[in-house]
Amino acid sequence: MKNKFNRRDFIKLAGLMPFSMMAPRLEKVIGSPQPLSGQNKNVLVIVFDAFSAYHVSMYGYQRETTPNLAKLAERAVIYHNHYAGGNFTTPGTASLLTGTLPWSHRAFEAKATVAPQYVTRNFFSAFEDYYRIAYTHNGWANILLEQFHAQMSELVPWESLFLRPYFGFVLDMFGKDIDNAMVAWTRNVDIKQYGYSYSLFLSQFYEVLKEQRYATLNKEFPRGIPSTGFADNDFLLENATDWVGKKLPNIPQPFLGYFHFLPPHGPYNTPLEFIGRFGHDGYKPINKPVDVFSENRSYADLLERRIEYDEYLLYVDREFGRLFNYLETAGLMENTWLVLTSDHGEMFERGISGHSTNALYQPVIRIPLLIFEPGRKTSMDIYTRTSAVDVLPTLAHLTGHQIPDWTEGVLLPPYAPTSPDPNRSIYVVEANRNDGSIPLTRASTVIVRGGYKLLYYFGYKEREIDELIRLFNIETDPEELIDLYASQKDIADELLKELKSKLDEVNRPYLK
Amino acid sequence: MTLVKPNSPLYTKQGLWSLFLMCVLPLHFWTLILAFRDLSWLIDRSNLWDAITVASYGMVFAFVESMLIFLIAILLGFLVPKYWDYQHRTALLSILVIITALWAMVDQLFALLNVSLPGGLLYFIAQQGHPLRVLYIIALLLVAPTVLIPTCLILKSDKVFKMVRGLIGRFTLLAAFYLLFDVIGLIIVVIRNV
Repeated sequence: MKNKFNRRDFIKLAGLMPFSMMAPRLEKVIGSPQPLSGQNKNVLVIVFDAFSAYHVSMYGYQRETTPNLAKLAERAVIYHNHYAGGNFTTPGTASLLTGTLPWSHRAFEAKATVAPQYVTRNFFSAFEDYYRIAYTHNGWANILLEQFHAQMSELVPWESLFLRPYFGFVLDMFGKDIDNAMVAWTRNVDIKQYGYSYSLFLSQFYEVLKEQRYATLNKEFPRGIPSTGFADNDFLLENATDWVGKKLPNIPQPFLGYFHFLPPHGPYNTPLEFIGRFGHDGYKPINKPVDVFSENRSYADLLERRIEYDEYLLYVDREFGRLFNYLETAGLMENTWLVLTSDHGEMFERGISGHSTNALYQPVIRIPLLIFEPGRKTSMDIYTRTSAVDVLPTLAHLTGHQIPDWTEGVLLPPYAPTSPDPNRSIYVVEANRNDGSIPLTRASTVIVRGGYKLLYYFGYKEREIDELIRLFNIETDPEELIDLYASQKDIADELLKELKSKLDEVNRPYLK
Repeated sequence: MTLVKPNSPLYTKQGLWSLFLMCVLPLHFWTLILAFRDLSWLIDRSNLWDAITVASYGMVFAFVESMLIFLIAILLGFLVPKYWDYQHRTALLSILVIITALWAMVDQLFALLNVSLPGGLLYFIAQQGHPLRVLYIIALLLVAPTVLIPTCLILKSDKVFKMVRGLIGRFTLLAAFYLLFDVIGLIIVVIRNV
């Protein structure tokens, strides 16, 4: 018997090499949950920025802010307790796109990008066999999309869906530092917003030009043309709707589309047809106690801002209805998983307006999530607490893709093979002043488990807050009016222990 | 000093430089005040470096605006009779730029300090058949003397003329200092865009 390993044996073995290389991949496929349905179906993620679930009539808000959505939701899976990863664009969007929490992707600060390992670990890399297209009005979200550009088939330029600016040179000349350039340009020429500007003469000239150019639109949008808040950043949501509605039927399928529109993010410039809709409806929200992070806004001011936001939501609702109509007319709803969600919420209470706050109350972190399943004709309500990080793995699973092992989310019900874990903890992280490369030393964090929500703030030296803890039972007290920290210390301690342990874990790689 | 000097040049290099600095002064002064005022919210929005960058862009834009105002002032100078002494021409244009800028500041100060016109005056204006026309007339009545009186004084009074020249001389030093800020601002803008 010949024991010698000859040339022929070597060739035979070499032939097996491709199979051996495929083995780990095969193992993953076999080991992962089998997709229930929808292989090769399109995926369309529509994000409306700063869209708070608290203000959606379908979720129990007293004002009817979303009549179209309510009607369309009769064919959707509606998630009633869905949480953003963070409280403003950068961490919230990064969580949705990477399926990881801010303390993992590390995009804490305004304009930040995700940690290097997530540049190739995101929605777009998970759907590498799809045509991947993305667009956003939001400059900070665009910074993230540009970071993921290599994983996309098409990144629609940020400025392409804006009204043509008079002074496009700002974009052309300062493209590498566009955010700062835009802020400065706005402070120079936009005298209308505050009545004063850096420029004494140019601003007056600019206003005259703008008034002349947008004479018709100004009548249609008496509060101002929708914009990012920057000069020369005006846009119409209907233009974006039309563009997406006409573009999608003409791109290769299957596709992954990520479209992140700015409304209802401020400034709340709703069209004339919605102005006054809620101004005199008599709705008086609860006057909640002023928070430690209050901006000292009066109740009357907050009421006014809330009305403007709610009326802006009607615009969003109308446009989502139009987009849905486009998709249906094109026959895309039969083979597309359509997801409607947001990156974070908005709040008008406790002396705080907007979302740039350290206070993580429900209106600023609870966001809508609706999944329109291809062919679904009935609605389904899901009350399980879910997170933005769950969207990526769920859509990957539903379209027959490998669930990335780096996502921190779980499969959303009803698509998970097992019942949801009632003891699952949901986290939200805000650390706008914390560099991503160092451990978290100044942050607002939230843990939601069962019916309880614990807020843990730390490191706010300027407010003399070393540590601040609040506990709410959000099932019996959804408005978060009664702080249970002192009276239910055992529950608070348990949640705090878990949260601190998690913080230790995520900080460890960044300790020197 | 006589107003009329035969064969006097329209402008001299020194005169143009001082006129330019008079354009630089109010625009940069205002930009700097508002940029400092914005620092805290800009730091809050992102960070100190971004706040400084925004102020730098502000200085660069202010420089460009100063150039534009300077060009307009030069063109206005051609409307002044040619037989005027160039020093009077420059002094007059400088004062016009300063006064116009002061009025523009007053206009913005109303919003900045949250001050509105007296209720009685607003009521009176609103009662008129053409409120906007009345408003323009009131503005003209207020602005016209502030332009005409200094102009006449510069032309008629040697003392006032000398005082204005002295004032311009002092201001130019400050304005030149603002130009230094522009250079720093420009360097920061370039760094941010390479």
